Amino acid sequence: MQLQTRFWQILRTSRNFGTLQRDRELGVGINDTSTPYRVLIVDDDSDMVALLSTWLKGSGFSVMTASSGDEALTRLGMSRPHCVLTDLYMEGMDGMTLLSRIHASNPLMPVIMLSGQAGIPEAMKAMHLGIAAFLTKPVEKETLLSNVSRALRLSSDIAETRPRFGAGIIYRSTAMAELLEKAELVADSDITVFISGQTGTGKEVLAKAIHEASPRRDKPFIGVNCGAIPEQLLESELFGHERGAFTGAMNRHEGLLQAANGGTLFLDEIGDMPLGLQVKLLRVLQDFEVRPVGSTRSVPVNVRVISATHQDLAETVKRGEFREDLYYRLNVVPLHMPSLAERREDIPALLDFFLDRIAQKRNAKKKRFAPDALEYLLAAPWPGNVRQLMNVVELCTTLTKTDIIPLSMAKSALREESAGIQTLKVAKDAFERNYLIGVLRITNGHVANAARIAGRNRTEFYKLLAQHHLNAADFRKGGAVETDDSESIDIDAAENPVDEQRDV
Amino acid sequence: MVQVTVDKDLEDLVPGFLSNRQRDIEKVEALLARGDFDGIRIIGHSMKGSGGGYGFQFITEVGAGLERAAIACNTDLIRNALSELRHYLAQIEIVYR
Repeated sequence: MQLQTRFWQILRTSRNFGTLQRDRELGVGINDTSTPYRVLIVDDDSDMVALLSTWLKGSGFSVMTASSGDEALTRLGMSRPHCVLTDLYMEGMDGMTLLSRIHASNPLMPVIMLSGQAGIPEAMKAMHLGIAAFLTKPVEKETLLSNVSRALRLSSDIAETRPRFGAGIIYRSTAMAELLEKAELVADSDITVFISGQTGTGKEVLAKAIHEASPRRDKPFIGVNCGAIPEQLLESELFGHERGAFTGAMNRHEGLLQAANGGTLFLDEIGDMPLGLQVKLLRVLQDFEVRPVGSTRSVPVNVRVISATHQDLAETVKRGEFREDLYYRLNVVPLHMPSLAERREDIPALLDFFLDRIAQKRNAKKKRFAPDALEYLLAAPWPGNVRQLMNVVELCTTLTKTDIIPLSMAKSALREESAGIQTLKVAKDAFERNYLIGVLRITNGHVANAARIAGRNRTEFYKLLAQHHLNAADFRKGGAVETDDSESIDIDAAENPVDEQRDV
Repeated sequence: MVQVTVDKDLEDLVPGFLSNRQRDIEKVEALLARGDFDGIRIIGHSMKGSGGGYGFQFITEVGAGLERAAIACNTDLIRNALSELRHYLAQIEIVYR
C-alpha cells in the first residue's frame, strides 16, 4: 500500500515536470509571467526572503515564502511549487529535515539548499539525500538564478549541449518513454535509485544511462552482481580488505566502493546480498564512509548507489531476508523496467537495431526477417526479455545463408534459445563449483582454511570437492604463498578463525 | 564617506535592510548585557548570509566576525564588531545602478 502511494506520488510529480517540459518545447520561458514557475523560499531571516524573492520575481518566477520548515510543509500541502529553496540552519526544523520530509512524499521535487556555514559532510549528506544544489551564503544573483533554472531544467544551453538521455536505448513504447522521462529527472541529482524488472530487461543499461546523464559522468561506473559472488568474496570486493585481514588476504584490496569514488556503483541483484553485508552497506549509505575488512580506519567515499533486482524486494523484506531500513534507503526513487512482453511495440525497432549491429560487426550485408517470421517474433512470450531477443537475432543471422531470415529459422532459434536457459539445479551446481574453485584459489588449496571460509567442516568440504571432481592439490603452490613484494606468508600459521582476524 | 554600488532592483529593499542592521546593533548590545552569546551568534550568522547579497560585503565580514566572536564568547571582539558596523552604517553613501 505504502509503495503504491509512493508510486502515484512520483507519477503526479512527473506529470508536473511533463508540463514543464511541454511548456519549454512550446517556447514558454522563465520570463513568461502568464505561466510562472513557482519557487517556495524557506528562511527564517526576513531580509534573505526579501532578497531572494526580489531576484526570482525579477526573472519571472512566482514566489511563495515560508519562515520555517513547518510552515513550508503546510504551504506544500496547499499549493505545489516547482522548486524549493531552503536555508539549512533555521529555528525549529532545519533544512536537512525539511528536505527529507519533502522527498518522503515527493521524491522528485527539486530542493536547493542555502547555507552560511555548512561543511563538506553536510553538503555530501544533502547531495545523497537528493538535493538539486547546495549554495553557500552570501549567494550571488546569477548563481542563484542559474541553479534554480537548472533545477527546473529551463536552461537552453544545458539542453543544447547535452546528448539525448539514454541515447543508446531503443524504444517506441509509451511505457519506456515514461520510464526514461522519470529516469532523466533523477539523473542530475544524487538521489538513490532502485530499478526493478525481470532478468534481461536492461536494468544495467538504464543505470548506465542515469550515470552518463549525471554530473558524475566523468568518474567510474562500476557494476557488481551481488548474486554471483559468495558472501566472503563479496564483502571483500565491495568494502576492500587490509593485507592479512583473513586467510588468503595476501595484499591490500581497495574495494569497489572506493574504486567507484566520485562515480556510480551499480549493485545488481541486491536482493541476493547476504544480511550481514546489508548492515555494512547501510552504514556506508548513512555515513558515506567505508571500513575495509581488517582495518580500524574508515575512509570517506562519495558514491552514488543505484541498485536493482528481479525479485519482489518488498516481499523479501516481509520474509525477513532483506533489511527494511536498507530497503527504504535504496528505494528512494523506484524505476520499473517493463518486460519485453509489456513493450511489444519496441520489438521491430530492437530487431532492426540488433540486425544492423551484427551486420556492421561482421562487415556483412544487413539481413531482414521475413514478414511471417517478424509476426511470430512479435507474438513470442520472451521470458528472457531483450537479452533473449538479442541472442535469437545472433543465432538467426549466423545460421541463415540468405538475406531474408525465414519463419522456420526464427522458430528454431527461439526454441534453441529457450532451451538454453538452465534448470535451477544446473545453475546451482555451476555456482557451487565456481565457489569452491574461488575459495581454493584464495587459500592456495589449503582445505582446512577453505572449509573454514565456506562454513563447512573438512569432511563435508572434501565431499563437496569430490562431487565436483575437484582436487585441492591442483591449487597448491608448495605450502607457502608468494606475494607481490616477495614476502611469504605461511597460511598454516593463520590459526585464528576468520571473524577474529577481521576484528584486528 | 564610503560609496557602495547596489543593484537598482534592490532600491526598495535597501533602506529596510540597513535599518534592520541598526536594530541588530541594539539587539546585540542587549544580548551582550545578558551574556546571551548564542543569540549574538545567530544575528552574526544572519548578517553574514545576507550582507553580500544586498551588495554590502562589509556587513557580511562584520557578521562573520560577530559569529566567530560569539562562539568564542569574546566580549571585546563583539564590541569591536559593533563599533565597526555602527561606523560603517553612518558613513555609507549608496549608488543604485
